Amino acid sequence: MASASAFTFKRPSVIPGFGITLGFALFYLSLIVLIPLSSTFLKSTELGWDGFWQTVTHPRVVASYRVSFGASLAAAAVNLFAGLLVAWVLVRYRFPGKRLIDALVDLPFALPTAVAGISLTALYAGNGWIGQYLEPLGLKVAFTPVGITVALIFIGLPFVVRSVQPVLQELEPELEEAAASLGASRFTTFRRVILPSLMPALLTGFALAFARGLGEYGSVIFIAGNMPMISEITPLLIITKLEQYDYAGATAIAVAMLLISFVLLLLINLLQWWSRKRHTE
Amino acid sequence: MSIEIRNVNKYFGTYHALRDVNLEFASGELTALLGPSGCGKTSLLRIIAGLEQPDSGQVLLHGEDSTDRHVRERRVGFVFQHYALFRHMTVAENVAFGLTVKPRSQRPSKQAIRKKVMELLDLVQLGFVADRYPNQLSGGQRQRIALARALAVEPKVLLLDEPFGALDASVRKELRRWLRRLHDEIHVTSVFVTHDQEEAMEVADRVVVMNKGVVEQVGTPDEIYDNPATPFVSRFLGSVNLFHGRIHNGWAHIGDLRQEAPAHANGSSGPAVAFLRPHEIDLSDQPEGSIGAATITSIRIVGPLLRLELEREGGEGLVEVELPRERYDARTLPIGRKVYIRPRQMRVFVEKNAS
Amino acid sequence: MSSKHSLVLTEAPWLRVVLITLTLTFVALFLLLPLAAVITEALRNGVEAYWEAIVEPDALAAIRLTLTAAAIAVPLNLVFGVCAAWAIAKHDFRGKNLLVTLIDLPFAVSPVISGLIYVLMFGMQGWLGPWLAEHDIKIVFAVPGIVLATIFVTFPFVARELIPVMQEQGTEEEEAALTLGANGWQTFWRVTLPNIKWGLLYGVILCNARAMGEFGAVSVVSGHIRGQTNTLPLHVEILYNEYNFVAAFATASLLALLALVTLAVKSFVEWRAAQQAAAARNAEPPASVGSLA
Repeated sequence: MASASAFTFKRPSVIPGFGITLGFALFYLSLIVLIPLSSTFLKSTELGWDGFWQTVTHPRVVASYRVSFGASLAAAAVNLFAGLLVAWVLVRYRFPGKRLIDALVDLPFALPTAVAGISLTALYAGNGWIGQYLEPLGLKVAFTPVGITVALIFIGLPFVVRSVQPVLQELEPELEEAAASLGASRFTTFRRVILPSLMPALLTGFALAFARGLGEYGSVIFIAGNMPMISEITPLLIITKLEQYDYAGATAIAVAMLLISFVLLLLINLLQWWSRKRHTE
Repeated sequence: MSIEIRNVNKYFGTYHALRDVNLEFASGELTALLGPSGCGKTSLLRIIAGLEQPDSGQVLLHGEDSTDRHVRERRVGFVFQHYALFRHMTVAENVAFGLTVKPRSQRPSKQAIRKKVMELLDLVQLGFVADRYPNQLSGGQRQRIALARALAVEPKVLLLDEPFGALDASVRKELRRWLRRLHDEIHVTSVFVTHDQEEAMEVADRVVVMNKGVVEQVGTPDEIYDNPATPFVSRFLGSVNLFHGRIHNGWAHIGDLRQEAPAHANGSSGPAVAFLRPHEIDLSDQPEGSIGAATITSIRIVGPLLRLELEREGGEGLVEVELPRERYDARTLPIGRKVYIRPRQMRVFVEKNAS
Repeated sequence: MSSKHSLVLTEAPWLRVVLITLTLTFVALFLLLPLAAVITEALRNGVEAYWEAIVEPDALAAIRLTLTAAAIAVPLNLVFGVCAAWAIAKHDFRGKNLLVTLIDLPFAVSPVISGLIYVLMFGMQGWLGPWLAEHDIKIVFAVPGIVLATIFVTFPFVARELIPVMQEQGTEEEEAALTLGANGWQTFWRVTLPNIKWGLLYGVILCNARAMGEFGAVSVVSGHIRGQTNTLPLHVEILYNEYNFVAAFATASLLALLALVTLAVKSFVEWRAAQQAAAARNAEPPASVGSLA
């Protein structure tokens, strides 16, 4: 009996409702998420391996990967610094309007992407509030890959801030006091004591922002210009294929993207596990 | 019998948490389940309550097999170690909870509930906090509210899990005297879990000592203290000195001492160990009736006692001794003096289970 | 400088000013300006033009559809979130971590793909398409598709908010309620729910914001039929692509308002939750057991 109970599915408990709640959760999860997602993978097999490979390595598709990856990486890198800065200032300093700024950081989560898209386009277009100053300097933002990056910076900022902020808040002041008492300068303390503790959270935020950037659609398409080979993102290609009734092609690209997303999800889970482990030690 | 435990076994994964436990709890008695952490006492209490299921065995409440009965039908009052008060309800709402969740047909009227709540709050002497929230109370107050809440449903048995475990030492002492008085007043069959032997001795009518999932001994506090059944009980109930020796043909040889050991008369022979509490030792100038000689290495006066540390001759280790000051004079026991250790009372166990 | 940090733990005043200024500039540039742009562009031709764009029948239809989709998606995901959190946080079973990861899956999927999967299921080329056509049921390029896509993209919000909150609460209060004779429903309703209400509200607000604002996924399944399958964000796109900027931004301003309300409620909820946590920590007991001796 001892060994039997070691292999049971569930630890017995008096708290009621397990069967019905888990049952409903699994049913709903399968219906909404699992079945549709797996049917997409099944659909992609219709093309056969050669067809699939040809579709996902077509030059225009490869160019779109370059745009999507490049812009997402650039935006996530900018957010790595900007997010750390914002989190640092919000946690460590006191200044008027701090609570407002703190609330505003979540704007990209709350603002519909289409609204962000048209608004950023209006700002960075040649005659926009910001674009009119950049254009004479030879820097075209709207309708170029730079514009895509700007949109993804907007979308990704809260991911880094909200990953770093709680860790920074929980950081024991004793660590820094110890470093200072050992003669470390403020900068050395930051570099050698604070930054390493923030690393898992920073990387998690970076990965989350990057993953979101890869899939982002609404805020990008208005500002991107959507020129094939130059400023066309991968999600847009899926839509283009759909509009041409090329379901198999759209599915193939979607599956390629899904695989990348799942790898990133796995990576993010590992990072968070690492972060938790660091934190509890 | 109010509660009967028959052959209960419990596993957590492959860990055998309770091994063939058989126990009876008499009506109206206050019993302590005493043991070190991980001995299975809390699991046993939760099995009685119905919060855990045994893997085999039975739980009878008032002669009725309740093993498969759901916790909410068992009518047990359970007091949690960390109180588990509903933090969003006032004290009065907490105490009233058990009455307000009754089916409409059995539910008392609002006034009757209010009256009952005030009675219970008066019983635990906390009528003045009725409208406060749990986080506005001290730990001791929370514990008493948890008790009042458990009593509100008129439980047939009352179960308390480490009821004083989370409290300060001073509060804890006071609260356990109070619990004893309360029990004398209401006389509901009660079982409480504790790892503190002093607490068990002071509060309980009977004590169940557990270790590694096994019941080591059941008895009144003085039975257990004076006649520990196993080496474990002997050690767990306070500091004790160990003397190694042999058992042979019904005689125990401990140091220089030879003593009849009727419990081991039938043939068992081999290494043995004797347990002596510090206050069960007399010191003497003469070797007769002693285990052996020792040298005094330290002496301190602690209230009415002299507390001595002796070094046994032949490097056989240290011995702690407590002597009443009215019978011994510290001036006659200088450090370095040679004395003989004479046991007033001694329990001998065969070595193999003396671990 | 935060009060809990001593002098050695902060930077030189000039550096602090520089860092704060940088932050304010960045926030102004990337967060405030886009908001301001929406309002300004919307009011470019005056309040009247703004109002006309909003009360126009197609805009009203879009508002109605957006509200409908949210009104279906949010309650369903709420029920799912509570069920999943109850099973995961209050019980121990095999595969729990896998389940938690699977619940997060929709966040890892591009919105476009979130729409695509339903086209592949229910579209004419899809698995169920022919059967649905035979029975004259329209899912894709109709309202049900929009609702499904909305459910998908907002799927994890409530669950992932509730799971950690409920895990942190433990099971002692529920066990206490059960020993006092409460049944499962009473235990949930009277003990668990009051303890998780802020987390629940938080999840619902975020879920609702995303449900009303979703663009990519809905765009794929909508079919863009004006007045019928256009949600507010899609309406914005159509107007924008027709170079009707004032109307596009006027409609967008409604969504921006929704975002601001969401942020305000969210801040309030966070503030309340923090306040309660602080009260639970700080409330040091006044009277002690001394009174009973």
